[in-house]
Amino acid sequence: VVRCQLSPPQRALQASAVLRRVSDEQKKEPSASSSQQQFDSHPTDQQPEQEPQGPIPSYTGQGGQESEDYESEEQLQHRILTAALEFVPEHGWTAEAIAEGAKTLGLSVAAAGMFHSDGSELILHFVSQCNTKLSELLEQEQKRVQLGEAEKKPTDQFLRDAVEARLRMLIPYIEKWPQALSILLLPHNIPSSLNLLTSMIDDIWHYAGDQSTDFNWYTRRAVLTGIYNTTELVMMQDSSPDFEETWRFLENRVADAMNMDNTANQV
Amino acid sequence: LRLCSTRGALDGVNKPVIDRVIRVDHAGEFGANRIYAGQMAVLGRSTAGPIIQQMWNQEKDHLKKFNELMVAYRVRPTVLLPFWNVAGFVLGAGTALLGKKGAMACTVAVEESISDHYNSQIRTLMQEDPEKYKELLQVIKQFRDDEREHHDIGLEHDAEAAPAYSILKTAIQLGCKAAIFLSERI
Repeated sequence: VVRCQLSPPQRALQASAVLRRVSDEQKKEPSASSSQQQFDSHPTDQQPEQEPQGPIPSYTGQGGQESEDYESEEQLQHRILTAALEFVPEHGWTAEAIAEGAKTLGLSVAAAGMFHSDGSELILHFVSQCNTKLSELLEQEQKRVQLGEAEKKPTDQFLRDAVEARLRMLIPYIEKWPQALSILLLPHNIPSSLNLLTSMIDDIWHYAGDQSTDFNWYTRRAVLTGIYNTTELVMMQDSSPDFEETWRFLENRVADAMNMDNTANQV
Repeated sequence: LRLCSTRGALDGVNKPVIDRVIRVDHAGEFGANRIYAGQMAVLGRSTAGPIIQQMWNQEKDHLKKFNELMVAYRVRPTVLLPFWNVAGFVLGAGTALLGKKGAMACTVAVEESISDHYNSQIRTLMQEDPEKYKELLQVIKQFRDDEREHHDIGLEHDAEAAPAYSILKTAIQLGCKAAIFLSERI
C-alpha cells in the first residue's frame, strides 16, 4: 500500500484529496470549519477526480468514505487542519493553531502531536485546498462558456483573473503568509510545495486552453510561475486598498509576457 | 506519490503509467518525423524519394495522433524535444549520405526498435486493464503494424546491403534504447 510510505506532510495532502469524498459527512461539521468557507465554492460532486489512483484504503482497510461513522486517520487529520485554519490569523501557522482546531472538534490538544511542529502540514493543506477551489472555479467557468452563458476570455484576461482569484484566497491569512512562504521553502517541504505549485500552474494553463505539445509547454508554465510568484511577493508588501497595486502589477507582468510571446513569434 | 489539484475527467487512469507511455511515444514519433525529414533532405530527389516521403507521411499522422492524446490525457512532453529535433534530423541525413541503402538500414533499425517498444507497451497496458485502455491499445497496435511495415519496406530496399550494416544497426538501436529510457523519465 503506497500510503504507508508517505511522510506526514504528504499524508495530510492525501487527506485534502479525500475531502470531496467525505464532503457529505463534513457538512455535518461544527461551524468551526465552515467559517473557513469565505469563498463561494464548496466541494462539489462533479469535481473531476483528484487522485489518480482510485479510492484510498483506510488503515483499517475499509473504504472510509461510506456512511459509516468510522473515519480514517487521513480524514481526521484533514478535519483538524481545516478547523485549525480559523486560528491561523491569531496564532500563525503553528502547532497552537492546530491544537485550537482540534479543540473545536472536541478532541484533545494532544492531537496536534500528529503533525510536525513547524506547521508544514497545515500550510500544505491550505495550499492544496486553495488549489482545489481554484480548479473548481475554473471548471465552472469553462462549463459556463461551453453552455454559452459566458464569453470566452482572451488569454491575458484569463490568466490575470485566474491568478487574482487564487491570490485573493490568501487575503484572510495575509499577515501570516510570509511566515508560510518561508516554511514552504524548507528543504523537506520543497518536493510537496513545488508539486502543488506546478500542478496549479498547469491547471490554469489547461483551462486557458493551452494545447502545446512542444517546448512551449515548458516556456509558458515557467513564465506563468514567475508571474505568480512575483505577484505573490508584491502582494505581501502591498498596503493599497483591496490590493490595487498588486493587480496592476499583475496586469503589467501578464502584458509583458504576451509582448514577449509576440516578439518571439515575429522573430 | 504525485499530488495534483485536478487532472481533468481522467477517472481511474493510472496516471504515472499513461504519462510515460504517451510521453515516450510522442517523442518517438517526433524523432521519427525528423529522421525522415533528414533522409528526404538528402535523398528527396533520388529514386528512393517517393517511398521515403510515403513513410514520412504516415509518421506525420502518427505524430498528429499523439499530439491529440497528449492534450487529452494532459501529459507533459519530454523536455528533450529540442534535442531529438536535431538528433533525429542528423541521424536521418547522416545515414542518407551513406546512400539509399544506408537510409534504408537506418529505417530498419529504428522501426525494429519502435515496434519492439510498442509491443512491450501493449503488454504493459494489457496487464493494467485492457478495457480501460482500449482506445489507446488500438492506436498503439495500429501504429506498431505501420512501423513493422516500414521495417519490411526497408528490408525490401536492400537495407542489409548497406555499408557496415550490422554495426550501423546496433549503434542506432542502442541510441533508440537510450532515447526511450530518457524520454520516459524527463
